[in-house]
Amino acid sequence: MARKNNDVLEVPQSVTVTVGRTLTQIAWLRLRRDRVAKVCMAILIFIAFIAIFAPLICNVLKIDPYEFNSALLSDDGGLPSGRFGGVSLAHPLGIEPLTGRDILARLLYGSRISLFIAVTATAITVVTGVVIGILAGNSRGRLDTFLSRVMDITLAFPLLLVIIAMSPVLEQRIASFGIPEGNSSRIVTLILVLSVFGWPYLARLIRGQVLSLREREFVEAAISIGSSNRRILFKELLPNLWGPILIYTTIALPGLIGAEATLAFLGISVLPPTATWGSMLQESVSYFSVDPFYFFVPLTMLLAAVLSFNLLGDALRDALDPKAGRM
Amino acid sequence: MNKTTNIRFGVGVASVALLLSACSSKSDNNSQSGTAGGTLYILTAAEQILHLDPQRNYTGEDLAFASGFLNRTLTQYAMTKDNNAASQIQADLATDTGTASDGGKTWEFTLRDGVKWEDGKPVTCADVAYGVSRTFATDVITDGPTYAISLLDIPKADGVSEYPGPYKASAAQQTLFDKAVVCDGNKLTFNLGAPTADFNYAVTLSAFAPVRKDADTGERYDDSVLSNGPYKIASYVKNSKLVLVRNDQWSKDTDPIRPAFPDSIEYVFSIAQPLLTQRLMKDSGKDAMAISPDGVDPTQLAVIFGDAKYTNRRLNDYDPYVRYIAINTKKVPNVKHRQAMLAALNRADLRKIAGGKYAGDDADGVVKPNIGQDYAATGLWDGLLGEAIPDTGNVALAKKLIAESGEKFPNPIVFDYGQSPTADKSASAIVAAMARAGIVVKPNPIEVGAYYGVVLDPAKQGSLSAGGWGPDWSNASTVLPELFTPGGGFNLSQFDDKAFTAESDAAKAIADRVEQAAAWQALNVKAAELALVIPTRFGKEQRIQGSMVQGAYIWGPYGSYPYGALSVSQ
Amino acid sequence: MLMVFMLTILSIVTFLLFNAVPTDPARLTCGKTCSPATIEANRIRLGLDQPLITQYLEWIKGIFAGRTYGSGTATFNCDAPCLGYSFRNGEQVTDMIVTSLPVTIYLALGAFVLWMVGGISTGIYAARKKGKWQDRAIMGVTLVGYSLPVFFIGILMLIFVVVRWNILPYPSYVGPNVDTLQFLQTMILPWISLAILYAAYYTRLTRSQMLDTMSEDYIRTARAKGLPEKIVLRKHALRAGLTPIVTSAGLDLAGLLGGAVITEYIFGLPGLGRLAIGAVTEYDLPTITATTLVAATFVIVANIVVDLLYAAIDPRVRLQ
Repeated sequence: MARKNNDVLEVPQSVTVTVGRTLTQIAWLRLRRDRVAKVCMAILIFIAFIAIFAPLICNVLKIDPYEFNSALLSDDGGLPSGRFGGVSLAHPLGIEPLTGRDILARLLYGSRISLFIAVTATAITVVTGVVIGILAGNSRGRLDTFLSRVMDITLAFPLLLVIIAMSPVLEQRIASFGIPEGNSSRIVTLILVLSVFGWPYLARLIRGQVLSLREREFVEAAISIGSSNRRILFKELLPNLWGPILIYTTIALPGLIGAEATLAFLGISVLPPTATWGSMLQESVSYFSVDPFYFFVPLTMLLAAVLSFNLLGDALRDALDPKAGRM
Repeated sequence: MNKTTNIRFGVGVASVALLLSACSSKSDNNSQSGTAGGTLYILTAAEQILHLDPQRNYTGEDLAFASGFLNRTLTQYAMTKDNNAASQIQADLATDTGTASDGGKTWEFTLRDGVKWEDGKPVTCADVAYGVSRTFATDVITDGPTYAISLLDIPKADGVSEYPGPYKASAAQQTLFDKAVVCDGNKLTFNLGAPTADFNYAVTLSAFAPVRKDADTGERYDDSVLSNGPYKIASYVKNSKLVLVRNDQWSKDTDPIRPAFPDSIEYVFSIAQPLLTQRLMKDSGKDAMAISPDGVDPTQLAVIFGDAKYTNRRLNDYDPYVRYIAINTKKVPNVKHRQAMLAALNRADLRKIAGGKYAGDDADGVVKPNIGQDYAATGLWDGLLGEAIPDTGNVALAKKLIAESGEKFPNPIVFDYGQSPTADKSASAIVAAMARAGIVVKPNPIEVGAYYGVVLDPAKQGSLSAGGWGPDWSNASTVLPELFTPGGGFNLSQFDDKAFTAESDAAKAIADRVEQAAAWQALNVKAAELALVIPTRFGKEQRIQGSMVQGAYIWGPYGSYPYGALSVSQ
Repeated sequence: MLMVFMLTILSIVTFLLFNAVPTDPARLTCGKTCSPATIEANRIRLGLDQPLITQYLEWIKGIFAGRTYGSGTATFNCDAPCLGYSFRNGEQVTDMIVTSLPVTIYLALGAFVLWMVGGISTGIYAARKKGKWQDRAIMGVTLVGYSLPVFFIGILMLIFVVVRWNILPYPSYVGPNVDTLQFLQTMILPWISLAILYAAYYTRLTRSQMLDTMSEDYIRTARAKGLPEKIVLRKHALRAGLTPIVTSAGLDLAGLLGGAVITEYIFGLPGLGRLAIGAVTEYDLPTITATTLVAATFVIVANIVVDLLYAAIDPRVRLQ
């Protein structure tokens, strides 16, 4: 049992994992029989598809995420003329107030950035967490104590504050390493700060797993026959850790998508005019009373992605749970 | 001119604007009407008033608030809706608006009898002198205007006054100040370093307001100001509220300016921002007696100005500022390149982003028409740069200018701005518009609180910086030299041209006002032609207040509510 | 001892972290006419002219013995425990924390009670109806609940409950002893919106814990003994399943006590989170350092308390 105490999101996220034996095939079978999981997979594949092919889709539909259409706005406060936030054939999901930029195009391009940030940050979190967790659990002794203390201290920090205060510094440092200033360094900054959240939780979880695995007969057996440390690590330990890692990933991903939105809400996001789901949500929320459609578009997208990931995570957990009733 | 932060609109400048259209000093009592009694509520998303300490207060809204309720000054503007009348000063703590002698190098004021502090002690000449001296303690008294340092006849070395302020001055140093500000009974004399014809306007600033030495708590005087105005502080909890109640030592007989209608004032801080405007629109309960200095939420503008039921509760008027984008001439030295940027910009997009017709009018220079005689149309957009430039830009002209320059455009150029959702969109519009002419702009959003720290530091400033400026006096001497000469305080253009500076110095010295105005007009055209800034808008502001609030309008001199004249119906 | 060690490390890390901010706070407090001399004076006023280690020791000294600010005749004392003086707010940091802490405590405790009661009872209910439509409905709703972005629920509640439906007046914080009714009217929405987020998680946690422990051997034994289902549920299953819930609850509560930044921001509550976020955006170093430290202290204390509770609750831990 480990948990992701997330004061950044003010949302707790459960990582209740019970690891069993490697029953990969059984799990896969169960997953394939799960209708909800299949629907979620389809939604996620669809979202990934439109994100990857955003430029193509925009070309076909002749929409541009950065083009201003101020002629389509009223001079009376800059709201879109027409119903549903200016929905028309030329602009299928309407236009942004004040600028007249196409919302569908921004949503598509925004998906790329949002997903890229979330996926990369998750990958970094998982790799860091697993490496440090194994290192701590496998070494015991002083290194373990040290790493555990680092985790404790990281977890004790009000990370949101640290992130807001540190983002400008970090961005400058990143830019000084040769990554182009502007959006590239900003995105790298976002990915890094988002990765800082997660790794201690996973590291703790992995450390605990490794500690208990080491007491198990098959690992003791491997040690007693003189297997190398390396072999034990890769052949005996890692295969038994895939379950929790996979489950953690499906939970971390939607969490990070939400975290990106939350940071955007507080004004930490990519540089304009680039959009992300979070930045669109943050902008549209103030228009809720005068142009609600604008708000629901990015919200629907974000919810679809996050819900699908969470449901998939649930399904995965059930599938990997040895105690769950056999179907 | 001070800078402060205006998060809502993302324009980083709000300053004291003292717009004077005439130099008359007659003090006629304008009859103000209102209902006495009740409580006036002031709602804001801010966590506190930036400064209540009279020597540190330097934002239009706060100055209007404090001088209307707490700190009286030697002279003050009339509280009236009529901009011309409001720009004329009246005697306040003094019996008249001051007498100049020695060609304007010496100014004399006589204090009114019977004005008291809230504890009943009389306000003396020594109190005023002590208040003025505090400005010199720059390590304690921060953020305030420094006119006392620049105008008074006290020697300076490297721009630093030899008088370090009252807290740590030696006897010899104190003598320096005592020679510049002399008290003789009720008579207060200021000895200035150079002739200053408008000094009696400068003393409307609360930097020249009295502070009693035994009540001065230095750094912490901000929270515990001793009042000599119609109200006094009953309680002040930052993040929560400031309550003012009547000062029973204040008497209407000694104060010709402040009607002081309400019985108490409640300034409520930390109101949830997103809904502040909608709360005022709803007008229920105590909110009917409320005003807000925060301005209208832009998303609600169309609703408020489209519905007749808000007719008597809404305000839409010019603010004191010209909005512009300064071009750093050190980084973009080629004048054709700068002109090309003027031609490429899409001002129509920027105006839409700022709220369409509520944002203000297309600006043609840094001098705003409401300054009076120093303004004349520059023709900037009507062919001054060779061709007419419509508000959507003239891309062909921009490309032509770059071609004519004989150099490649120094791409990419960095655009600094104080970050806000609106400013972010403006930045995107600028990027898009400039790209049409092959100019690559990189937006550099800066935390609003840090904005001026960055752009006023030549090492950190980019090529373009968002700015805004309003005059201190109804004289372009507080605009053009401030913005475009090396000695100016807000030279975001980093402009240092000997000929221009010489012309500006010459204009400052012209005694004939009409002749001087012509000189400023010519210089304004020159600045426009040199493309030192891209002027974007002569700004407007919108407000809404509760239905029981009486006497609300945008008070010209400070671009704020006329706090001292507001009342609430019962 | 461990706590003192952790806090010391934390204070050093915090101090170093925030002093790495590139913006010069001395420059920031300087207005338009900002000569190098004025910046220098400001630097001295803010104590930034001294080496970092001296600044740190001064700060530590202030906490235990108090310190003096200002120069010339304009000095003033900051009595122990002095966490510094915020020149931007013109207030002692300790005072600011003392005034904002109660707001955050009310917010955190109110929400805590709501989500624990709501989350655990719904979780037990769902576990008992496992597989039935009630269980599925609850699981679905809670999943949506914690998929929503944090600011979303708060803003939506404000818009509907306050603006559209006029059910509650606009939130405006007052202390509970000043005006109890207004206090409750202001706090109810923040409580609910925080509670919804957390309850979603606790419902799921409780359900899975219940299901886990229900399949343990000793529960089967208890059932085999013929104990009534209610007793089994309460005395055995719930108690054992409680441990991870307590752990989570302790840490979540501690995290919130350090300031629920977004909720406080949306509802305009003058709590620790708002104080901290304001300080961060204005580079008010003493306030940032102090609020971070206070928040971290809550988490460290909670960790220790949770460890103690862990031993007290779980019979298996006690046996060892």
